[in-house]
Amino acid sequence: MSDYKQIYYDKMAAVHLWLQYCPTCHVFIFYPRERCPYCLQADLEWKPVSGKGILYSYTIVYVSALPEFKDKTPYIYALIELEEGLRMPSNLIDCPLEEVHVGMPVKLTHIEKEGKTLPVFKPGDAKAVIR
Amino acid sequence: MMLEQGQTSIIGIAELPPTLDPGGRTTLDLLAEAAAQAIQDAGLHKSDIDGLLVAPPSEDSYFLWPSQVAEYLQLAPVFMNMVELGGASAAATVARAALLVDAGICKNCLCLSGGVWDSQVFNTRAGKLAVMSQAEIDYELPYGPMGFNSGYALIARRHMYEYGTTPEQMAKIAVDQRTNALANPKALFNQRALTVKDVLDSPVIVDPLHLLEIVRPCSGAAAAIVSRSDHGAHTAHDPIAVCGFGEAYTHNSIVYAPSLTVSPIKMAAERAFQMAGVKVSDIDLVSLYDCYTITVLISLEDIGFCRKGEGGKFIEDTDLTYKGSLPCNTHGGQLSCGQASFAGGMSHVIEAVHQLRGEAGSRQVKNNRLALVNGNGGVMSTQCCLILGRK
Repeated sequence: MSDYKQIYYDKMAAVHLWLQYCPTCHVFIFYPRERCPYCLQADLEWKPVSGKGILYSYTIVYVSALPEFKDKTPYIYALIELEEGLRMPSNLIDCPLEEVHVGMPVKLTHIEKEGKTLPVFKPGDAKAVIR
Repeated sequence: MMLEQGQTSIIGIAELPPTLDPGGRTTLDLLAEAAAQAIQDAGLHKSDIDGLLVAPPSEDSYFLWPSQVAEYLQLAPVFMNMVELGGASAAATVARAALLVDAGICKNCLCLSGGVWDSQVFNTRAGKLAVMSQAEIDYELPYGPMGFNSGYALIARRHMYEYGTTPEQMAKIAVDQRTNALANPKALFNQRALTVKDVLDSPVIVDPLHLLEIVRPCSGAAAAIVSRSDHGAHTAHDPIAVCGFGEAYTHNSIVYAPSLTVSPIKMAAERAFQMAGVKVSDIDLVSLYDCYTITVLISLEDIGFCRKGEGGKFIEDTDLTYKGSLPCNTHGGQLSCGQASFAGGMSHVIEAVHQLRGEAGSRQVKNNRLALVNGNGGVMSTQCCLILGRK
C-alpha cells in the first residue's frame, strides 16, 4: 500500500481520477495515504470517481511568489467539492474570470506538469449535482 | 476543569516595537530583550523564573529550541517546552503557563515569542515550502496556492457566497484597526488613517483579499510572565487574572476543514467561557488574531458577538475602535502593527493586559474588566481563546 502516490498518478496518467475508498466507513478519501483517517484501517480500495462536482470556493491569484506561476497570473486556485462528497484542491481552467462563481458545476479534465498528469477542472454542465 | 479563580495571573509583560529592520540582531537577541523587560515589569529577578514556554523561532533551527533559548538566558527552569500551534502559539504559551502555575509545577513561567523576518526568504518558493506540510507540497502546490493568502481568500469567498458579505464590510475591519493604530506609537503603520476606499483601492493580491487586508510580516519579540498572584506579593502592577482558556483544532490545510465559514474558534470560545464562568455579553474588549480582515469577521461570529453570517452587518454597524461599543484590536492589530513572527499573536495578549491595567494611554477603553484574546494558527486551524480579567 505504500505506493499510493504512484497509484494516484498512474491512474491519472490514464486520464481518469481514482481515489481511495474506505470499505468500512463508506467514504472516499483525499489525499492518498496508507490508512483511512476515520477508522485507521489499512484496507483502502481504489475506485474511479465521476469527475463531476461544484466549485466550493476559489481565489483568483493575482500575485504569486511561485516562479512557475508568475507568468500565469491571474489564475484560479480552486477548492472542488466532488459529487462523491469530498473536497480537493485544484485549478479551474478554461473559465473566463468574469464567469467564475461559487457553486458552479465543474468537470474533470487534466494537465501535464513536470512529468505528471494532474487533475484539474473546467466549467461543467449546469444540470450537475449542486449542493 | 477550572483554574483556581483569580490565582493565576499575568504579572509582567513586554513587547518590542515591531520593525522592518532588526539591524542584524538575532531572534535570540530580541527574545532576551523582551525577557529582560518583562522580568523588570513584573518586579521579579531572573532567578525567580522557573518555567519557560517558547513559541517556535521563525528562521533559526527548531532543534532543541527551548534549550537554545534557556542557554542564552542562562535559565535552569523546572519545566520548559516549545508550543507550536502556528499563530495560536503565543496565546497557547499563556494557557499552558496558567496550567503549570495552577498545578504548582512553576511559580513564575516566562512565555516568549518572536523572530527575525528575512524578506529574502519569505517571498520565495523555498520560503513557501518551509511552512507547508508534505500533503500540501504534493497535492496543493502544483496548483499554485499562495500559502496562507489563498487559504484565507477561499474562506472569504465562501463567506461572501453563503451570507452576502461584502468587500466593504471586510475592509472596515482594517479601517477601524488603523484608527486604533494612530493612537499606538509602536505600530508599524500609524502614519495616516485609512478609508474603506483606500483598502479596496489597494492591489488585489488573492481575490477577494486586497493588500491592506493582509498582514505585513516583520521582526520583533514579546513576553509575558504568568505567576500565582498569592506568591509574588510585591508585583509592580495589578496582576491580570487568566480566568479561563479554551482551545480547539480541526484541520491543518483549509482543504480538509469541516467548514470554511464556521471555525474551531466557536468551540475554543465556548470552552473558555465555561472555564471562566462568564458569557460573551460580559466581555468588555477583544483582542483577536488578525492575519487577514476575514479572520476577525469569522472570529466575531464564532465567539458569539453576532450570529453566523451576520458578521458583515455587525462590523458595518459596530464601532470597533477603542472609542466604540466593542473595542477590538485596540493596538491596531497585526494589520496595522505588523506581524512580528510568532510575537504577532502575543501582541493581542499584551494589548489586552495594557487595557485591563488601564495603562493604554490615549487609546484606553472605558470598560476594562474583562478581555477576550484569541490566537489563531494556520488557516483557522488552531485556536486558543483566553479570557483575562482585572481583579
